[in-house]
Amino acid sequence: RYVRQLQRLQLLFSPTSADARGARQFVEEAALDFARRHPDVVLYVRPRAGLAPVLVAEYLNGTVREELIASKTSEEIVQLATKLAGQSGLDIIRIRKPFHTDNPSIQGQWHPLTNKPSALTVQGPRLQPQ
Amino acid sequence: VAKTSLTSPPWPEVKLPDPVEEAKYHAEVVQKVNEMIATGQYGRLFAVVHFASKQWKITSEDLIMMDNVLEAECGDRIRMEKVLLVGADDFTLIGRPLLGKDLVRVEATVVEKTESWPKINMRFWKRHGYQRKKIIVNPQTVLRINTIEIFPCLS
Repeated sequence: RYVRQLQRLQLLFSPTSADARGARQFVEEAALDFARRHPDVVLYVRPRAGLAPVLVAEYLNGTVREELIASKTSEEIVQLATKLAGQSGLDIIRIRKPFHTDNPSIQGQWHPLTNKPSALTVQGPRLQPQ
Repeated sequence: VAKTSLTSPPWPEVKLPDPVEEAKYHAEVVQKVNEMIATGQYGRLFAVVHFASKQWKITSEDLIMMDNVLEAECGDRIRMEKVLLVGADDFTLIGRPLLGKDLVRVEATVVEKTESWPKINMRFWKRHGYQRKKIIVNPQTVLRINTIEIFPCLS
């Protein structure tokens, strides 16, 4: 059971500016292939004039990531989109441990008294086995 | 000959049991463990797996992250071979160095493929006017271990 963490991809670009050429080529050629390969991601294409072309990705835990796609070829945009599709919405900061378990010990956690004989069988000056 | 402090070694002398009796005892233990596995009397299983040049101690439903790219897409099930050790509450199966594939089965799913946080690689010499700055971003994959299963085929 695998749920993709990417909710939607919004592609905002303007139909006339020169740096949105890669975005326009991507929309014409590769957007359908991308949408068919990732059927659980919703792709919105919104033409918008005056601002730089941007690819906005929203994830299931609410994080929004914006990536500039100005002056990029359509293959680069495809690679970027697949990378975003594979990510989850967690922040990209330093993680301390590369593993995470909910049940770290099964046979009982080691403490200094494991594998030692108990005090009842030790013959001391005062302790005697009953 | 007189006995000095160096005639016998300082560790206590251990007498090994008879090899025939030993073999019988081993066979009995193996049969008991087989029966236990067959009836399913184990609770949680943990395993030590060699993966991506590192050894991990894993149980079911836990996350592992590695600093490389796997050739599987997100959501693919992967079967991990190279299992070194499998254990439960009462017994452990130790391999030399690996356990057989028909004994253990470890399944995992690729959860996400991200990049690491941008690491800064900077070189600087003082009084020489030399500094180079490079940002390194590694691709990472996150796996979630689904199940660890054992089958009663010991010998």
